[in-house]
Formats: sequence, structure tokens, C-alpha cells
Amino acid sequence: MVMTLHEATRRAAARQELCTRVKALLVERLALNVDPNSIGDDQPLFGRGLELDSIDTLELAMAVEDTFGVTVTDDDTHSLLSLNRLVDHIEGARA
Amino acid sequence: MTTQPSAPPTEAVLGADDIARLLPHRYPFFLLDRVTALDPGTSAEAIKNVTASDAVLAGHFPGRMLYPGVLLVECVAQLAAVIYGSAAARSATGELVADVADRVGYLAEIRQAKFLKPVLPGDQITVRAHSGPRFGGLISVTGQASVGRELVMTARLAVTELAP
Repeated sequence: MVMTLHEATRRAAARQELCTRVKALLVERLALNVDPNSIGDDQPLFGRGLELDSIDTLELAMAVEDTFGVTVTDDDTHSLLSLNRLVDHIEGARA
Repeated sequence: MTTQPSAPPTEAVLGADDIARLLPHRYPFFLLDRVTALDPGTSAEAIKNVTASDAVLAGHFPGRMLYPGVLLVECVAQLAAVIYGSAAARSATGELVADVADRVGYLAEIRQAKFLKPVLPGDQITVRAHSGPRFGGLISVTGQASVGRELVMTARLAVTELAP
């Protein structure tokens, strides 16, 4: 099915809003000392990215479940590799 | 002189010897006296009696004995291990207690710990823990301690369970 320009614009806006909410959630729940607006959509969450650690994964999984009602399990660790992948996971689960 | 009948002791679901089979901790770091409620894998309640002869009170502090707040947190962590240890025991044997102390891992994180009132010799602490979401070997735990009706500590922890 071909997406109309209006539909594509609407989806892009919804995606951007979700990214913004997830960035704010990350900063708030993990007490990160960064400006949410400075987090890139493709920024890795671990290592050289936001430098989260394995203990943060538990808090992040709980935050996503509390806020979006979406479960992140051991099988979804690939979803925690970057902000975009996490947003993909949330979008996919809510679709 | 009349004597008031004392309150009956709170019924034990697990006694100290049972707890010792679920936990690797031993004196002076074996803290829980009795488990009074237990839903394996989910939640539990326990009693910890604080006595003036507790070794830690000799140094905390001379002339001003005060049960350390960090040990209240440790009580919750040990109760968390009872929660998942009893679930493992039941899964393996059908009983609440088995020799599963080797599954006990580590205290990984303490969040939002609040110490609301001092705990003194003679106090009986009721410790409650509730197991939350699990991710890998990490388990989220919410806990609290109270003396009588007074809440003395609340905290959120992450603890680890080792694979058998």
C-alpha cells in the first residue's frame, strides 16, 4: 500500500515525538547528566554512546514498561543497542 | 501484680535454620531471624530482632547504639534472596527449602533509599520485600523496614541471582 504524503508526515511527527519522550525518560530515570536534546536518534546507549552499564538495562526496561506498557525481555537486548532501536521496539510492540 | 499476656510470637513460615539453607550468609552477617510470610518468587516478610549484644552495635556507636541503615538495606537484600531461593527450591524439590544458597548473587544497586527513623536495641524490625521485573540475572526489588507501625526505611534494589 502506498503511503500518502500526509500519512508519511504524520508518522514522522509521531516518531519524532516518541524519540523525544524516550530521551527524556532516559535522562530522568537513569539520572543522566546530559541534556535530552543533545542525545542523537542513532546514539548508542552503551559504550561510547550514553555509557550506560548492564545494571542500567534493568532500570531502562522497567521505565519503558511503566511508561509505554511495552515489555523488554532478555530476548530483546538488540533493542537496547541504540535509541532508534529502542524506539523501533516500542513502536513495534504498540502497533 | 497482674501480668499481661504477651502477644503470641508471629508464626514462622521459615525458621532461622530454614533460612540458613537458602542463604550463604553466616554470623555476623546472617541477619534475618524468621520469615513470617512468603510467596516464592514474588514477596516475603521477615523479622529481625535488634539486641544490645549485636556485635555491630559495639562500634556503631559506643555510648549511642544505633542499628546501621546499611544493614536494613542488607536485610531487604537477604529477604530478596529468600524469595528467589525458595522459588528455586520449590521448582527443584516441591519444598520451600532446599540447599540453594549457591544461587545467591550480589547486591547490584541501591536506589532511593530513605532512612526515616533510627532503629535501637530492643526494636523488632519487620522487613518486607517484593520482587519486580527481571532482566538477565538482575532482579528489581522494592523493600521496606518498619518497627511497630513506624516505617523506618524504604529502598529499591537490584540484586543478582546466579545460574545453578
